[in-house]
Amino acid sequence: MPELTFDMILVMIMIGIAVFLFIVEWVRVDVVAILMMVTLPLLHLVTPSEAFSGLSSNAVVSIIAVIIIGAGLDKTGVVNRLVGPILKVAGNSQSRIVIFISLTVAIISSFMQNIGAAALFLPAVQRISKNLKIPISKLLMPIGFSAILGGTVTLVGSSPLILLNDLMMPFELEPFGLFDVTPVGLALVGAGIVVFVFFGRFILPGGKGEEAGAAEEDRQEQNHIMEELGRPWELATPEDFTHYREPVTVDGIRRRYLVNVVGLVEPPDFKVLGPAPDQEIRSGVEIVVYGQEKDVRRMAEEEGMALKDDLELFKGELADHASGTVEAVVAPRSSLAGKTLNQVDLAERFQVAPLAVYRQGVTYRAELGSMPLRVGDAILLHGTWKRLELLHAEGSLLFTTPLDSDQLRPEKAMFAGIWLAVALVMVIVFKIQLSVCLMTGALGMIITRVLSIDEAYQAVDWRTVFLLGGLIPLGIATEKTGAAAWIAHSVLNAIGTVEPIVLLAVIGVLATVFTLVISNVGATVLLVPLVVNMALAAHTDPRMAALVVGLATSNSFILPTHQVNALYMGPGRYRSVDFMKAGTVVSIVFLVVMIAMLYLFY
Amino acid sequence: MAIITISRGSYSKGREVAEKVAQRLGYDVVSRDVLLEASEHFHIPEVKLVRAIHDAPSILDRFSHGRYCYLAFFQSALADRAAADNLVYHGLAGHLLLKGVPHVLKVRIIADLEARVAAEMERENLTQNQARDILIKDDEERRKWTQNLYGVDPWDASLYDLVIHIHQLSVDDAVDFIAQAAERQCFQTTPDAQQKMDDLALACRVKTALIQDDCVDVAVACEFGNVLVYSKQGHRRTHQLEEKVKPLAAAMPEINHIEVRTGQAIPPEAC
Repeated sequence: MPELTFDMILVMIMIGIAVFLFIVEWVRVDVVAILMMVTLPLLHLVTPSEAFSGLSSNAVVSIIAVIIIGAGLDKTGVVNRLVGPILKVAGNSQSRIVIFISLTVAIISSFMQNIGAAALFLPAVQRISKNLKIPISKLLMPIGFSAILGGTVTLVGSSPLILLNDLMMPFELEPFGLFDVTPVGLALVGAGIVVFVFFGRFILPGGKGEEAGAAEEDRQEQNHIMEELGRPWELATPEDFTHYREPVTVDGIRRRYLVNVVGLVEPPDFKVLGPAPDQEIRSGVEIVVYGQEKDVRRMAEEEGMALKDDLELFKGELADHASGTVEAVVAPRSSLAGKTLNQVDLAERFQVAPLAVYRQGVTYRAELGSMPLRVGDAILLHGTWKRLELLHAEGSLLFTTPLDSDQLRPEKAMFAGIWLAVALVMVIVFKIQLSVCLMTGALGMIITRVLSIDEAYQAVDWRTVFLLGGLIPLGIATEKTGAAAWIAHSVLNAIGTVEPIVLLAVIGVLATVFTLVISNVGATVLLVPLVVNMALAAHTDPRMAALVVGLATSNSFILPTHQVNALYMGPGRYRSVDFMKAGTVVSIVFLVVMIAMLYLFY
Repeated sequence: MAIITISRGSYSKGREVAEKVAQRLGYDVVSRDVLLEASEHFHIPEVKLVRAIHDAPSILDRFSHGRYCYLAFFQSALADRAAADNLVYHGLAGHLLLKGVPHVLKVRIIADLEARVAAEMERENLTQNQARDILIKDDEERRKWTQNLYGVDPWDASLYDLVIHIHQLSVDDAVDFIAQAAERQCFQTTPDAQQKMDDLALACRVKTALIQDDCVDVAVACEFGNVLVYSKQGHRRTHQLEEKVKPLAAAMPEINHIEVRTGQAIPPEAC
């Protein structure tokens, strides 16, 4: 057993600090990674070049390329095109829809970032739920879990697996191929779907008791936000509206009656959609508003406005062409999280009006401006399509109502497909290093103008890049100082000699626990050097041990800490307890299937 | 056509000024009677209310919500009276309890310490030193009370519209000034001002109703009858509070809309 050195202790302290910061989240996880990147060379635990080697690692370059390829597929509408045929095949049975969409999401997710695949399907799933009257809570969780599970199908499916080969490099173990994990991954996806198809009604929220009653309840829930919001109404102000009174503004009406003025016509020819908050409402104008009936009627009565039975002036325009209402979800890692709507100032910057905010089963309508937003909050926005598109392009909100005029380049779909194929052929047939192949694919897409180089740069998620790049030196330090070997020996001494399969199972549970509390990347970086050492000491295959970590860090279902789960929580109207219920079952099945598959196949 | 609050120390002639102002303008005058009203309305012993609004909070109070609850009852009783308009209130913290209401004329009456000592000696039959000790201690107590509960010093002149020192100026002079000020345009009860007063009274009523329903961790704000109930606790609390708030909305027709907010800063205007 190796001596415990001062350097080892330092490394362990650094690991302790990293884990602590991951859990308390005083700073964002990627900042923790950068902190490690800077502190480790200062403490002489790694050399300066090692400290930044993470940024040029195979893993980081691969992930950049995967994100660009994913963005290319997204931009050309390749994915959207898949949805139509799938729906046709699936028909309108809930189980079949779950099976087909889950499979598609899993396959897409195996070549894209999980969160990207999940976000891509959110609008489609919501549309399906609405059209077929299936409660959204029955669909989203299986599909979200499949997106996570799909990350285990190929070696580029999720960040931990992309990292795996890099982390194994110091041990001079044979690297994994792109599809080496596929049998296990497919089994996991299959198991996940089977669980939901057969036990869905027991573990998904609202699934107990009479199926029909529950569905009815959920359907009401679905319409809830629209009910809270009300429908558009048209009113006219009388000729003496402004006589002897303070000016009435759009904002004033919103504050007083919780009624949102979204359009205004003032003779002779002033017409505005999405008026500014300080827009004054004068005599003899027509306004169109969103609000609950009781509020609108109260306003009409108190302000002496004439309430029309139907929309007249705004009929065509409000219905479709120029403006509309969308539900937008605060995306994970969005710059809006933690800020209030007042600080973001959507009204000023994009001229869209927030009508309501939906959070964990509660709808908020009053004083929206002072609410700090959280990831997963659904905001109902009204504005002209043009303005909404601008907001959409900014990327901090995920629109769950699809914008019809999404700027797609369907004519480039073929190129996108070809370059994905080229990248895959290079990996599979010519066995060239993953990062080189993927970057070739990404470059190909840019050259064939599937997306511009600027769009490619914008698509790259720098937080992920620095999270990966910054944590790699921590892995190096753990290995170089011998800290990993020391901990591994200590643990093995403590538990005594065990069967390889038991060791793998223990590692699987350990990785699952880690990934729930700290990020999946953090868990992988910390655990891989450890378990490889443990496996070596226990005479088990170290590659298997590393693979268990790489796979089990995707086993993040019990808490909504995984980005995909956080994203689906709001639109699915899930609570943490729903994740615990369904997640526990899926997590246990995951571990059992994974160990069984590894035992059978390798 | 206004609400006048008069903040005063003991033996500062504040009561006399208040009563004469009320007489001159034909307003109601209230002070401790508000306490009585509150104690009857909310079924709590008056002595507890008196102690809550008089003594400075002790260490123990930091662990119990007692004082804050009693204060809420008191504020609610005062706000209801003030919403009826044309009121002179004299006593502690009227200007703080009616914060945010535009047509409140905030007056502080102070008097020379020696004159107050003499008055106290005469009334309570004390020696000069005893009387002075009591007065200084009393002033200190009130100061601590305001500082602890509102974070402001009652001797800070910027809290008031008028500070009148009864020394050279007589009580009648003070009454003249106050009556004149009350006539000013800015203290007239406009519909907007009355709306703010009604909103404050409604917020206070919602708060006391919640307190009686064992929700002591809430702050309530109201604008145009749209009520927001804030709690410092996390989101878990939202659903519990929602359940308690729903029946309130049904019971109070003046509530137009009511919402629960957790996990966000409580705005200063909330009571």
